Amino acid sequence: MFGFLKKISHYTQDALNAAKYLAQGLSVTFDHMGRSPITVQYPYEKLIPSERYRGRIHYEFDKCIACEVCVRVCPINLPVVDWVMNKEAKKKELRNYSIDFGVCIFCGNCVEYCPTNCLSMTEEYELATFDRHSLNYDNVALGRLPTSVTTDPSIKPLRELGYLPKGVMDPHDVPSTQTRTGQLPSEVLELLQKNSKNNNTIEK
Amino acid sequence: MTIAASTELICFLILSVVIIAGGIGIVFLENIVYSAFLLGGVFMAIAGLYLLLNASFVAAAQILVYVGAVNVLILFAIMLVNKREDPKPIKGLQLRKIISAGVCAGLLALLIRVDLTTPWSLPGPTSIGELATERIGEHLFTDYLLPFELASVLLLMAMIGAIVLARRDVLITDVGTGKEVNQGLIEKATSPLLIDKNSSS
Amino acid sequence: MENISEPIFLALINPGLDLEFSFTEAMKGLGLSSQFAHILWLPLPMLLVLTAALIGVLVTVWLERKVSAAAQQRIGPEYAGALGVLQPMADGLKLLVKEDIIPARADNLLFTLGPVLVLVPVILSWLIVPFGQNLLISNVGVGIFLWISLSSIQPIGLLMSGYASNNKYSLLGGLRAAAQSISYEIPLALSVLAIVMMSNSLSTVDIVNQQNSAGLLSWNIWRQPVGFLIFWICALAECERLPFDLPEAEEELVAGYQTEYAGMKFALFYLGSYINLILSALLVSVLYLGGWGFPIPIEWLAQLTGLSINAPLIQLIIGAVGIVMTILKAYLLVFLAILLRWTTPRIRIDQLLDLGWKFLLPISLVNLLFTAGLKLAFPTAFGG
Repeated sequence: MFGFLKKISHYTQDALNAAKYLAQGLSVTFDHMGRSPITVQYPYEKLIPSERYRGRIHYEFDKCIACEVCVRVCPINLPVVDWVMNKEAKKKELRNYSIDFGVCIFCGNCVEYCPTNCLSMTEEYELATFDRHSLNYDNVALGRLPTSVTTDPSIKPLRELGYLPKGVMDPHDVPSTQTRTGQLPSEVLELLQKNSKNNNTIEK
Repeated sequence: MTIAASTELICFLILSVVIIAGGIGIVFLENIVYSAFLLGGVFMAIAGLYLLLNASFVAAAQILVYVGAVNVLILFAIMLVNKREDPKPIKGLQLRKIISAGVCAGLLALLIRVDLTTPWSLPGPTSIGELATERIGEHLFTDYLLPFELASVLLLMAMIGAIVLARRDVLITDVGTGKEVNQGLIEKATSPLLIDKNSSS
Repeated sequence: MENISEPIFLALINPGLDLEFSFTEAMKGLGLSSQFAHILWLPLPMLLVLTAALIGVLVTVWLERKVSAAAQQRIGPEYAGALGVLQPMADGLKLLVKEDIIPARADNLLFTLGPVLVLVPVILSWLIVPFGQNLLISNVGVGIFLWISLSSIQPIGLLMSGYASNNKYSLLGGLRAAAQSISYEIPLALSVLAIVMMSNSLSTVDIVNQQNSAGLLSWNIWRQPVGFLIFWICALAECERLPFDLPEAEEELVAGYQTEYAGMKFALFYLGSYINLILSALLVSVLYLGGWGFPIPIEWLAQLTGLSINAPLIQLIIGAVGIVMTILKAYLLVFLAILLRWTTPRIRIDQLLDLGWKFLLPISLVNLLFTAGLKLAFPTAFGG
């Protein structure tokens, strides 16, 4: 008899709890409806890529010494370095250089290890083509510089969440003069220099 | 003939044709799923006939019970056990066919005789239309209380029987321990389903 | 007999707008017989309600997309018309001109018939939705019972399309949909029965009239809070809305019985589900939220301002307010359904059947019993 009543009370408790949690969930959903959208309307608005964004690789033909370090550090030996030995000058003569971005994983190892800095990362990420073979960039294509999001007049550049001033969630109406939270790299550098100067003066 | 009367006649004819053709289809169609769907169509046409007789409550009940419950259950049964296999040859099929045809013909003759001999009073009693629902309720709980209660007891028995059949816990003796193991839903298993032979011994 | 005459008596006090009468009078003025005028009149409310239902679907689809977007901090459709209001129209147009594909091994006839059988009962049920005292297609005596019986045809269409697609996901989806539909019909019907018991009538007009004696306070939701919840849960399950959308659970069944459908046939399913949602919301507002009734009885307002309730202008205003109130209440419920969609996770099939048979059914039976007891004990408050 008593056990039965207990069962019923547990059952009712469960049902009431379920209703309570449902109401809580509904209130959360309802609360979200008042928040402003975080949508970036892509072709018209674009996020500014961060400083060390690993986009399409840029390559300067004239700087390259055809050392093939990029090939060796590449996880899949992707870059194709086409050179011939000029026996008279006893030097490598670079003829072609290409990277297939359909296969590249944008790890940045080649950029890291390039002894002459002829490879660098750009902030270009819109590589879509109709044919996968056109993703195979030769040295001419690799040498093109992308249009920066901030300089393209047809696009509204938006800052990413981490680059917004403190407490701001919506990047749409933030003036470019307002800096992000915390110190900028240049400020950190300045501070370091000042500190080291102070230390130097103390030591002296 | 007024527009209303002619509309009624046309509706009656269409519904009758649907019922008869559907009924023949149910019996003669090879595909059992088609038969089941046709049965639903026939039930709906019968509901249409009730509507023509101004018995809207009976029509709605016909759809709810026969189409919504009976026919759906039949379809469920067919679709859950949908085995496509050719019927096996039955011994003496010819004889069986002749016998069943004889029985059916006898039944038909009987029905025709009843139809011809009954003095149908036309037109029948005037319909009470919207009041019918209440009258049905009154009759069910006064004159026809006993059959009503008997039917409900019968349905209750059927329901309990179905529950017992469905809830029959399959008891299987465990391979290792030799004890009986409750093979309910895996999530609700009270004891491990099949204890590993090596670990138990 | 007293029970029956009461609603009729109410109707005599406030006849409301009688458009059919005015139309017939106008036609007679043009020299037509009353029978011919009646035949001319017949298709008009049907077309009107059908158009209203379709526009309601467009609005609901737009609302669903916009509210969903807002709940997820997105923008939603924006470019088709102002605020994207034309987006559902564009979707419909796209579906209309899409190729109608019937799978090679599918059952041609049943494949085509399935969506029709799903849509037609839903549209037929609009027969009984009242927007005002006389603003409904037909005040049939069996009223709300007609809706319950018509909605029981739907599972047949679902099973048919599931079977005819010749696809295991479709068949499973169809079977699930039918199982869900028939198991939630019972608590639904029982909670409707409690309402019917209180208002002594199956007719939707009488049910609304019985609720509107004291405005907001006399709505059925105060007398039937449990019934209201059961009805709403079951209505969501019947409409296959989240959290009960497991017949078309995309993670497990692709799209359930809709998997093989494309073009206009898919649009019929889509239309059917949305019309059903609006219909359910309208019926909740009719059964529990006082239908076309204004929160404060409009008769009191008329008395306060000293205007005659039977003046033609007042009648027109009352009719318009009634329509607006009904639609407003229904759309509040649609909004609630959309919120629920983004709040609750989908439940498993065994949880669904557990909820239906082990929770809602006993509770609705107890509710029915309780209502009967209250009706006997307090006949004045519970429509004795």
